Amino acid sequence: MFSLLGGIFLGWSLGANDASNVFGSAVTSRMLKFWTAAVLAAIFVLIGAIAEGQAGIETLKGLTQLNLQQAVVSSVAAAVTVTIMTVLGLPVSTSQAVVGALIGIGILNQQFNITGLGKIVGCWFGTPVGGLVIAIILYKVLGAFYNWLNLTMIQSDILIRCGLIVGGSYGAYALGANNVANVTAVYVGAGMLSIFTAALIGGLSIGFGIFTYSRKVMETVGSKLVRLDPFSALVVVLAEAVTVHIYTFVGVPVSTSQAVVGAVLGVGVVKGIKTVSTRTLANIAIGWFLTPLVATGIAIAIYFAIHLQYIPGL
Amino acid sequence: MFGFLFKKQHQIETLIFNYIENFRKTQKLFSEAFTACRSNPFCSDFDFLTKQTHKYESHGDDIRDEINDLMYGKALLPESREDIMRLIESVDKILGHFETILHIIKEQQISIPDFIIPKIDELFTSSLESCDLMLEQVEALFSTQQGIRELVARIDLLESRCDHIERNLIRAVFASDLDLAQKIQAKEIILQIGDISDQVDRVSKRVNIIRMKRIV
Repeated sequence: MFSLLGGIFLGWSLGANDASNVFGSAVTSRMLKFWTAAVLAAIFVLIGAIAEGQAGIETLKGLTQLNLQQAVVSSVAAAVTVTIMTVLGLPVSTSQAVVGALIGIGILNQQFNITGLGKIVGCWFGTPVGGLVIAIILYKVLGAFYNWLNLTMIQSDILIRCGLIVGGSYGAYALGANNVANVTAVYVGAGMLSIFTAALIGGLSIGFGIFTYSRKVMETVGSKLVRLDPFSALVVVLAEAVTVHIYTFVGVPVSTSQAVVGAVLGVGVVKGIKTVSTRTLANIAIGWFLTPLVATGIAIAIYFAIHLQYIPGL
Repeated sequence: MFGFLFKKQHQIETLIFNYIENFRKTQKLFSEAFTACRSNPFCSDFDFLTKQTHKYESHGDDIRDEINDLMYGKALLPESREDIMRLIESVDKILGHFETILHIIKEQQISIPDFIIPKIDELFTSSLESCDLMLEQVEALFSTQQGIRELVARIDLLESRCDHIERNLIRAVFASDLDLAQKIQAKEIILQIGDISDQVDRVSKRVNIIRMKRIV
């Protein structure tokens, strides 16, 4: 049980950070009470993890052979990486941190599934691009439908509010389905947990993060976000959810933050405005490259550190 | 079917229509007070009608406060809250003009000179006509969404006509034999009446922007 703590911490930090990607705009703009959002997010994360978490878990556990000690090392290395990057103020993807840590263990084992890694890196490129393309399509299609409805102000308000609740719940479902692999896949790889137990523990730890710390993150992140109009905010939430859900079918855990940034850029493309600053994009690019590298380095360092031996008289 | 889920939103809608109805009543009382007593500030009905106008204007404030309380109880999206609040604030300024005009007549005991009364009536009628169109426009914003842009054009036209009458009236007043104090008093009344259509024009443009913002 003690060896699971690294994974649970990772799940907690994932829940605390990524819930803002699905319900952040609704909560910070007071469209939705925090507790309503937290309950919905936690429930749907758990359902998503149990219903569709298997594919991602299979992919990550297939990257390299792990024993229990290596599973704990990779989990702790990923958690430390996420913490360091957050402290540095760089956008961080838990998925990239976990894969980076597994690469570190794979290097030490001199055994790695290159095809699986290629698929994952391809999906990392595809996440922001997917968010962008899906946001453009959704904006055009939903926009035409919304205009056709010719709603009054109050009706439009009710529709968008419901859309944000449904879209946010779907986003939470996709988050659980896609990202639960980051939390507990390594323990499945080490033979410690079954896939169902891994999905359950992963989903619960993400939910725990949402309840205990996501409010603070939502408030901080929300104030730094671009102010979008309600319809665009709805499109961003839906585009992020659809993008992450597509990668769940592919079986690759991806970053919800990168999908959100892609979607916000997509809305900007349709509206002909700049929605994301160059500085933010540069930070994302730096985080994108650094996260897996740092995680690889930390995993190797931790592994060496726990294998240091005191030899008397040397 | 799911109306009970959005009770607050429907309450806001009802209150907005109540506010519009209250505006119409205030406008009617103001019109009666002004028409009856424009040449005689001591006429018998003036006090009563002024008090009634004030009563309805205050009732409008109460409805506005109730709408704000409901909206800030998280009933609407922040953008809609801001739009509705600013819209009602700007409509409320017109009620403020009604009251100010009656107070000026009452407190300064102004009798509008006979030779400008026909033109003042024309300015007054056009201003109130623009108010009617504005109310139609606000109702459309919360119901059918139809004809909002056409109403902007008609209100704009009325506003230009009012500006033209206003300038001619001021010119006529200062070219007359009235003493300077009377000229300044008459000018104040003319400007206040002229301000009604200016404010209506602002409201009308705001309504149009609110509508445009909700077209994707």
